[in-house]
Amino acid sequence: MVNIEHLLPRVERPARYVGGELNAIVKDWDKVKIKIAFAFPDAYEVGMSHLGLHILYRIVNERPDALMERVFAPWPDMEGLMRQEGIPLFSLESRRPLHDFDVVAFTLQYELSYANVVNMLDLAGLPLSAGERNGRVPLIIAGGPCALNPEPLADFIDVFFIGEGEEVIHEFIDCFIAAREQGLGRRDLLLKLAAIPGAYVPALYRVTYRDDGSISSITPVDGAVPPRVQRRLVQDLDTVPFPTRPVVPYLSPVHDRAVLEVFRGCTRGCRFCQAGMIYRPVRERDPKTLLSLAEDLLRHTGYDEISLASLSTVDYSRLRELIGALDARYRQDRVSISLPSLRVDAFAVDIARTIQEVRKSTLTFAPEAGTQRLRNVINKQATEEDLLQAVEAAFKAGWLRVKLYFMIGLPTETDEDVEEIATLARKVLEVGKRCGVPRGRLSVAVSVASFVPKAHTPFQWEPQAPMEVLTARQALLKRRLRGPGLVYHWHDTRMSFLEAVFARGDRRLGAVLRQAQARGCRFDGWQEQFRYEAWLDAFSAAGVRPETYAYRRFDYGEILPWEHIDSGVSKAFLAMEHTRALRGEITVDCRGGVCTGCGVCPALEVEPRVGVGSGGPV
Amino acid sequence: MARYRVAYRQDGPARWVGHLDIMRAFARAARRARLPLAYSRGFNPRPRMSFAAPLPVGMQGGQEYVDLELEEALPVEEVVHRLRETMPPGLQVLRVRRVPSDSPALMGILDRVRYVCRGSLGSHLTLAEIEERLASFLAKGEILVVRRTGEKPRDIRPGIKSITARVDNGTISLVMELKAGSHGNVRPEEVLHALCEIMPIDPASFTIARTALIAKDGKLLWDC
Repeated sequence: MVNIEHLLPRVERPARYVGGELNAIVKDWDKVKIKIAFAFPDAYEVGMSHLGLHILYRIVNERPDALMERVFAPWPDMEGLMRQEGIPLFSLESRRPLHDFDVVAFTLQYELSYANVVNMLDLAGLPLSAGERNGRVPLIIAGGPCALNPEPLADFIDVFFIGEGEEVIHEFIDCFIAAREQGLGRRDLLLKLAAIPGAYVPALYRVTYRDDGSISSITPVDGAVPPRVQRRLVQDLDTVPFPTRPVVPYLSPVHDRAVLEVFRGCTRGCRFCQAGMIYRPVRERDPKTLLSLAEDLLRHTGYDEISLASLSTVDYSRLRELIGALDARYRQDRVSISLPSLRVDAFAVDIARTIQEVRKSTLTFAPEAGTQRLRNVINKQATEEDLLQAVEAAFKAGWLRVKLYFMIGLPTETDEDVEEIATLARKVLEVGKRCGVPRGRLSVAVSVASFVPKAHTPFQWEPQAPMEVLTARQALLKRRLRGPGLVYHWHDTRMSFLEAVFARGDRRLGAVLRQAQARGCRFDGWQEQFRYEAWLDAFSAAGVRPETYAYRRFDYGEILPWEHIDSGVSKAFLAMEHTRALRGEITVDCRGGVCTGCGVCPALEVEPRVGVGSGGPV
Repeated sequence: MARYRVAYRQDGPARWVGHLDIMRAFARAARRARLPLAYSRGFNPRPRMSFAAPLPVGMQGGQEYVDLELEEALPVEEVVHRLRETMPPGLQVLRVRRVPSDSPALMGILDRVRYVCRGSLGSHLTLAEIEERLASFLAKGEILVVRRTGEKPRDIRPGIKSITARVDNGTISLVMELKAGSHGNVRPEEVLHALCEIMPIDPASFTIARTALIAKDGKLLWDC
């Protein structure tokens, strides 16, 4: 056990490092066959808000032969003290160093946490390269949405798991234990693991490059290794365990509420959205299942708020029934219901009105683009009329503040499209005035992100807009969005640039990550920690030009860095969507019953599950 | 409405939790226990709970108090039983009693606090020697400390009610009763720093526990 008591008085928020929360599980170390550390490469408060952690923590710890403990990236103040005292990275539950575990399992939620992944390995005293790790050194595995383009981390990770983890985690554990019992060496273990559907062992693939730097081939080095790794998913969410006893942190996490996952997948088909492609198809839970989960969840946590989480929760086909039943049961217990985001229409506002009667703070909508032309390009099927009706309903129902999310730098975007963001915001402000929202309290906040092309989306071939263009358009908006009632937020374009580099990157970026870690890059998603100059130095030291990843248009025919990772959505569909985008043609949501041919259902032998459960009252 | 005084211990990892987070943990425990917590009125109703004094982060609380107000009266044993089943690790319910609804707020009647500070003694001193030094320390007219650099020095002597010592095999335990509350609050760390001048101790290495919360008349707040 690592002793940290004397460090705790010297760090910010010591509760990040001590564990001991409600529902945390400390198992007998000597009674299990496999010990896994779940590693979240960001701060405790961020990681504890991540549903995937709670799901896997429950699944693994329910097995009598396995245990899972948690570890987060220590904040720089704590890291400094740990390095000074030679204290290795440790788990919260038993405060054991990571090298005591059999497996360290990272979740990859965000490209700008990659430096933290490398740094956590370093803090744990583990060899950074998969190739340098032998014998009993923990196996480093990783999953999560960013694993759909695993290549930038290929040097560091032994095995990636592509897709949803609920089922494959068992196959992994069984295989690992069997291999250990047979006394297999590391190489043989990796070969065995590579045979699990959804498992990707980067060391077992060879990547070759052309003179111009593009990829000429990605091939398995062993006949038993599959040439393409297919994404795993759960067919029927009603049959998999859901964490109804999640760890309840003392220290308030980013999202401090009970989380009920209503469905998985979204088929609205926004062309920039990776989540909308890589979690297909839509699989709803039965409202009866959800009510019983909600009951257990609230009883075991004591939360007074339950969030109905999904990619676009308002699309849940039995939302009214579900909310009605939750409200009837829990109103007297003062449990409030919340939705993570709202669809841009009056129906969504009506739903929000039914669940939020007292405190009407802010409603958030994401029109994403300022003009109908550009919204058609990105397939965001919300019109200006939808938005104005939605905000009118909101203001009339008593909301005072509206937040609007947009993106700049989208493919085909012009200055006019950007100007229209400001025009739209002003129209929303006018609606608020017309509805009689008192001046001084009325607020329209415009939050603008920069477009980042992502793997497995129709825009994967598109370059990111040059930083100068993005900053010029941010400045344009800043000028246009002055005035009472308007608030403007924008993202650091340098961060978006790095996101694009790693989102579209290949394994040659491993050298950059190593350099960045050595130069002290940490917590890059946190503005106050972000050190762009250090990143630029890291790129030049590694001899890699970041522009070739962020700014190059990939050819349709080209082998993409993630070519061997199969999300189930076909490349032909993505290419077709891309050409339709450039022609401004929209594509419908297959929820309505019309198949758009994305290929996911036949490829992964799955069907959409919409409106499941009996029709009776829930 | 019925008011219950809960005495609890805060220890282990929960020592590192700040007061606001402890308040939230109590509210959640009460919800899990299905205790009918009373809520304040207004736009942002909050559970009616009042604590005696926030426990500083890192300190162990041997006997802390919170008054909980419930919508309806329940037998005391029932409240104890339900809370014990649902408290998070590190917060242990010691006892509960019903108090009159009009009894004064805990925070208002807190006058002083007893701390037990334990650490190592740098060189060998007998108990008699320590006691002698403590006596001369307490005999001083004023003891000036500077809380933050640049601030003007403050006399903490009036806030020190008593200090007694025990020595055991190189370890010293200092039991201090110090003034608490908004006027003249004295922190045990400040006293340890001042004591450095008269005995070989390293204040940073001390563990500090708050063991009793005391009212003006010398009674524990529990009994008020």
